Amino acid sequence: MDEQNSTESNLDYQAGRPAVRDGHDSVRREKPEPVAGGNSKVLISWVATAGLVLLMAGGYFNGYSNSFNSSDTFIYPGYVAAPRPLIDGASGPVEQKPWIEDWMADGKKTYGNCIACHQATGMGLPGMFPPVIGSEWVDGGTERLSMIMLSGILGPFNVSGVTYNQPMPAWGALSNEKIAQVMTYIRREFGEMPEGKTGVVTTEMVKVAREKHGKRATPWAEADLLAIPADADLPGAEIDLNTGKPVGKN
Amino acid sequence: MSEAMQEASAQDVQERAAIDRSVRFPVLFFFTSAAGWLFLATLLGFASAVKLAAPELWDVCPTLSYGQLFPAHMDSLIYGWAMQAGFGVMIWLMARLCRVEVKNAVTLITAGFVWNVTVLIGVVAVWSGYGNSMPWIDFPAYLWPSLFLSYAVIAGSLMMMFRRRREGDVYVSQKYIFAAALWFPWIYATANLIINHTGGSAVMSAGVNAWFMNNLIYFWFVPVGLSSAYYIIPKIVGRPIYSYQLAKIGFWALAILAGWTGFNRFLGGPFPSWMPAISGAAIILMILPIGAVAVNFLGTISGRSSLMRYSPSLRFTVFGGIMFNLYGLLIAFSSYFEVSRLLQFTFATLGFDIMIIYGFFSMVMFGAIYFIVPRITNCEWPSAKLIRFHFWYSSYAIITIVAFMIFAGLAQGGAIDDWSGDFLDAVRRGKGYVVALAIAWALISMANLAFYYQLLMMFFGWGRKTDGPTLIHKNPGEAESAEAAAGFATEETAKA
Repeated sequence: MDEQNSTESNLDYQAGRPAVRDGHDSVRREKPEPVAGGNSKVLISWVATAGLVLLMAGGYFNGYSNSFNSSDTFIYPGYVAAPRPLIDGASGPVEQKPWIEDWMADGKKTYGNCIACHQATGMGLPGMFPPVIGSEWVDGGTERLSMIMLSGILGPFNVSGVTYNQPMPAWGALSNEKIAQVMTYIRREFGEMPEGKTGVVTTEMVKVAREKHGKRATPWAEADLLAIPADADLPGAEIDLNTGKPVGKN
Repeated sequence: MSEAMQEASAQDVQERAAIDRSVRFPVLFFFTSAAGWLFLATLLGFASAVKLAAPELWDVCPTLSYGQLFPAHMDSLIYGWAMQAGFGVMIWLMARLCRVEVKNAVTLITAGFVWNVTVLIGVVAVWSGYGNSMPWIDFPAYLWPSLFLSYAVIAGSLMMMFRRRREGDVYVSQKYIFAAALWFPWIYATANLIINHTGGSAVMSAGVNAWFMNNLIYFWFVPVGLSSAYYIIPKIVGRPIYSYQLAKIGFWALAILAGWTGFNRFLGGPFPSWMPAISGAAIILMILPIGAVAVNFLGTISGRSSLMRYSPSLRFTVFGGIMFNLYGLLIAFSSYFEVSRLLQFTFATLGFDIMIIYGFFSMVMFGAIYFIVPRITNCEWPSAKLIRFHFWYSSYAIITIVAFMIFAGLAQGGAIDDWSGDFLDAVRRGKGYVVALAIAWALISMANLAFYYQLLMMFFGWGRKTDGPTLIHKNPGEAESAEAAAGFATEETAKA
């Protein structure tokens, strides 16, 4: 490489004199800047192709767009939803828990208020506090039971042929939901529900009971309760145990 | 040959040389820093592929985990290499085609410096786990205004050049550059504002992210790459572009369609179904501008394709053009649900992305760089052998990546589609193909080392000073140009 020559041409180049004679050969040999030619025959075939591609795209859009319905996502015909994913340590797919399990679990918590007298087993204390198991007050209509829950009861009263004298305090200070849960709990856990009855008490049912009987400030006497028919249930829709919603509505 | 362009006059030569001199430093700045980033990006690509193939390797070090290597790889590839190479090409092309000298070289270099520092901070942050994990815009939220501003300075300079243009007709490359300069700020600001600042639903963020990815391709990589191809091909072939009307249609069809794409990345996803449907339809319609470009290039090059044997610029550019067309067809095909249920969310997506970013855009940029750098440095590429090495290793590796990633995608997609199967099993099915990915990135790294070495030689003025271009298959001094080497010049002189 000729050192002298290349230095010179670089100097030329930097000083604004393009060194056409030796250096900057690449610029000298290159062709003029490109321009666009005017071949328009090809346009016809392009337009013809465009028609086909437009049809393709239109068919595609028609097939997948669901007519601009903004709430629908595209679901492939024959699509089967995957089960819920495995979580670490779980042996099988995680299932959605039925609503009733949560409802009962909450009821069991509230039942913690009751175990001092009725015991965790629901057996009560013989001669002192009546059992929940096998009690006609629990297994029967929900209206009577709700009245006891809301305002309490004074002795003497008869449970399964045994007379008890201890009073039961009022639990009306609890929320409708808690009362509904604990009523469901004792009826399903300790009681025996007749065929076709789930034993579920809903918040709405307790609300009705509170509107009807909740104004009473003093505990009930047995006679007051016996005035209500034994099978009188609080009004309310039948509940789907899986969803917690009225049957037929999802 | 009435179509053949006139030989350059002495005045033309002087003017071009003056323009080249004025853009010399900013363009070289962008090219050399881009090539440095490219080398880093390909190394990161290699490391991330190795981690995929052998996940237990280096598992004590979170910095070397796939989850941090891969985004750092993509970000340095896109913002470090691709966009900066694009800036260099845009500046040079705009100056040449508008016939104006660049007056704000220092401003451009300053903007480029800010860009580089921001990308460096961003890549380091992403690499060390502080990214926001949105593909292609995973830099921490505080960085985007800085990138945005330095881009605005560069784009503003391009606009100024365009305003000062001397020629009456606007060539198609100028249109593409002008449009790309304007489109990027729009998509970048929109995506960053929605994803990083306005909150909103996570599902929609993913949708906006997909929209950004596709629009970065169609609103930036494609127009910038095409502007370069529309320049290099007629320039080296020595003919006007085949059809002005086709070029125009191609441009406007791209401009109209590109913004609708993106949601096709989530076919059957949790979006109102018209959104992916409209994106898929736009992707299918995109065949039209892509086809227009293909016909135009074919018409221009037809009968003179033997020039590819000699001219490195033409060879890289044509390879990129072929990849671009294949990409358009493949992506349209895979936007059908029956196909995408097998390919979506698999390695095939990576294959398609690499196909457009590397197979098309980067290869076209290499072609442009092989053309531009001798003109602005006043010396010739040192070694034809290394150019050959660069081309064959790159093209071989890219084809490997694309083919193997599509196969991996098919292997995985079938398993993902079967919901009763184990997800990890679906991942494992792609494992064998990932080895090919690692090998391909290793090949590309070697090719890019050769490229980087040559570019640095040129940067320091240590290129060849002899007559004649560096052609792939001729020794220096044997031919005056690729055309002469291919035997066209003599033919023309005979006819004249």
